[in-house]
Amino acid sequence: MNVASPFGAGSHRATGRRAISEPRWVRCLLITLAMLFLGVFLFIPLIAVFTEALAKGVDAYFSSFADHITLASIELTLLAAAIAVPLNLVFGVAAAWAIAKFEFHGKNLLITLIDLPFSVSPVISGLIYVLVFGAQGFAGPWMMEHDLKIIFAVPGIVLATIFVTFPFVARELIPLMQAQGRIEEEAALTLGASGWQTFWRVTVPNIKWGLLYGVILCNARAMGEFGAVSVVSGHIRGSTNTMPLHIEILYNEYNFVAAFAVASLLTLLALLTLGLKSWIEWHTAAENPPAQ
Amino acid sequence: MSVEVRHITKTFGSFSALNDVSLNVESGELVALLGPSGSGKTTLLRVVAGLEFPDPGPGQVFYHGEEVTNLPASQRRAGFAFQHYALFRHLTVFENIAFGLRVRPAATRPSEAAIQERVTELLRLIQLDPLARRFPNQLSGGQRQRVALARALAVEPKVLLLDEPFGALDAKVRRELRRWLRRLHDDIHITTLFVTHDQEEALEVADRVVVMNEGKIVQVGPPHEVYDRPINAFVFNFLGNVNLFQGRVAGGRVTTGETELQVSDDTDQTDSDASIYFRPHDVRVSAESNGMGSIPAQIQHVNLAGPMVRLELERLDTTGRFEVELNRDQWKLLGRQSGEQVFVDLQRVRVFAADRTIPVNDFSI
Repeated sequence: MNVASPFGAGSHRATGRRAISEPRWVRCLLITLAMLFLGVFLFIPLIAVFTEALAKGVDAYFSSFADHITLASIELTLLAAAIAVPLNLVFGVAAAWAIAKFEFHGKNLLITLIDLPFSVSPVISGLIYVLVFGAQGFAGPWMMEHDLKIIFAVPGIVLATIFVTFPFVARELIPLMQAQGRIEEEAALTLGASGWQTFWRVTVPNIKWGLLYGVILCNARAMGEFGAVSVVSGHIRGSTNTMPLHIEILYNEYNFVAAFAVASLLTLLALLTLGLKSWIEWHTAAENPPAQ
Repeated sequence: MSVEVRHITKTFGSFSALNDVSLNVESGELVALLGPSGSGKTTLLRVVAGLEFPDPGPGQVFYHGEEVTNLPASQRRAGFAFQHYALFRHLTVFENIAFGLRVRPAATRPSEAAIQERVTELLRLIQLDPLARRFPNQLSGGQRQRVALARALAVEPKVLLLDEPFGALDAKVRRELRRWLRRLHDDIHITTLFVTHDQEEALEVADRVVVMNEGKIVQVGPPHEVYDRPINAFVFNFLGNVNLFQGRVAGGRVTTGETELQVSDDTDQTDSDASIYFRPHDVRVSAESNGMGSIPAQIQHVNLAGPMVRLELERLDTTGRFEVELNRDQWKLLGRQSGEQVFVDLQRVRVFAADRTIPVNDFSI
C-alpha cells in the first residue's frame, strides 16, 4: 500500500510494492504445491468416482439404482438425516442460546461436552451405544423383555447419527451469538416484545445464515457417516444399511459400477454442500460489509 | 411520570455495583447520572429499566408511585437507548422505529396506517425522513443514535432512559445531539434519566445532576449547585480540572508553603491536615507580588491553543506543579514568557480535611 497517497479507500487497491511480499519463485512454488496436493487428494478421486460409476455406460449406472436393496439404503440414509438434522437444529440453537446469552454454572462443561463427538472416534461412539443398548449391555435384558430393539436396528442408526452430528449447529452458532451479544434482545424487551417475539423477530434473523450453514454441514455429515453407524448397524441388507455401508458391501463384492454409482450420489451431495456453503458465505459477506 | 428507587443494592459476583441507592426523579425532569466508569450509574439505569433486578432485600423501584420492582422490562414501558444503539441490523430504519408498535398484542396494536403515520412523524422529528429505507450499517453514528431515540419514543414510553447516549460519537456531533436532546425534552417533557461520564454534558443538559462513585450517590443537585458547592473532594475533582495543594488548616486560616489564606465560610475544618482545591481559572496571575497570599511560581509551559491560555506552573515557595487558565487579554497584559516568574493569587478555593477518596496528586490535568 502506498502510504503517501491519502486518497480514500480506493488507494488500498493501488498497485505497487506491498509491505509483505515474497520473491516470485516462492509464490509459484507455494501455489504449485497447493494445487498438486488438491489434485492428488481431491480432483483425481472425484473424477475417478464418476469414471468408475460410468465405466459400463449410462444404462448400467442407472440400473444400479433399480435394486431394492440400494433404494432401501438411500431411504434409510434420508430417514436418519431427516430425524438427526431437525433434532440437532433445535438442540444447537438451545445450547448456543444458553451459552452465548446467559451465565450459569457448568457452562464450560457444556461447551466441552458439545465438542465431545468431534474428539471421540466415531467407532467408539457407536460402541458406546452397543454397550448401553446391546444384548449384553446395561439396558439389554430389560429391552429384550419389552421387545425393544435399538442395536442392529434403525433406532440405533438414528441415535449414532444424532450423536456424531450434534456439534455442527451449536459450534456454528456459539461464536456468532457471542459476538452479537444480547443487546439487541434487550432492546426488543424494552420495546415491549415478549421472549418469544424477541426470539423470532430479533435472534433468528440475526443468526439465520449461520444456522443454515450449520444445518448444511450437519446434513452432509449425517448422510456420510460411516464409523459409528457401521458399529450399531449389523449390516442387514435392505434393512439397516445406510448408503456408506451399502457402498462398502457392493465394493467388497466386486460390484464396482454399483458401488461407485451410489458413491457418486454422496459425492454430488458433497458438491452441492460446497456450493451452498460458498453461496451462504458470499451472501453473509454482502450483508455485513466490513465496518467503515 | 415520576421514577423512584429505594435502597437498591446490586452485586455481580463479589463486585458491588450498587450499594443502598435511593433516588427520586420528578415527573418531567431531565436528570443526569454522572460518575466514573464502575461507579454503578449504568447498573442503576438498567435496574430502573428492568434489565437488571436488584439483589433480594429492601430494594424497590416505583413508577409514578406504583411498585414495578419485579415487573420485567417488556412490561415497564420505559424507553431505553443503548450506548451502542442496539439497532436491529436486519431491519430498515423505518422498521426499527416501528418494531415496538408491531410487537404489541393484537388488541392494542395500532393499524398499519397508524403505524405508518407514527413512524413518519418520528422520522421527521429526528430529521431522517429521506433515510427510512436504509439499514443501520449504512448510517453514521449520530444518525444511528437518533434512530435509537426515535425507536424508544415510538412506544410512547412513560420514562426515557439513555445509557451514555452520545458516548461513542465525536465531540462536535456530541455537542449538537445533546442540544437536540435538550430541545426535544423541552418540547415533549418526558421524564428522562441519562447516564454519562462527561461532566460537561451533564452540567449542560440536565435539570439535576446525580454524582455517583463506587456504587453510591455522592451528591444530587442542580448543575450550578453541584459545580459551585461540591460536598467532597471527589465531586470537586470529577466536575472539571482541579489543582490540589497540601496544607494545614487552623483557626479559619489555611497555610500552604509560605502562603496563608482566609478560609471561606462553608469550610469548618479546624487544626488538621488539609487538601486545598482550586480550579485553574479561579486565580489571578500577576507580574508582581501583592505581599501576603501570593504564590511565587515559574512558568514551565504555555499552551496558546484554544480560547484560554493555559500555563503550567512550578511553585517556588515549596514543591509542586499546577495549572492555571487566563484569557488572552490577561496573558498579554501579564507580559511574561515561559521560564519567567509570576505571582498567583488563589481567588476561590475549597478545603477538605485529608480525604482518602481521591488519589493524592499535586498536579491534575
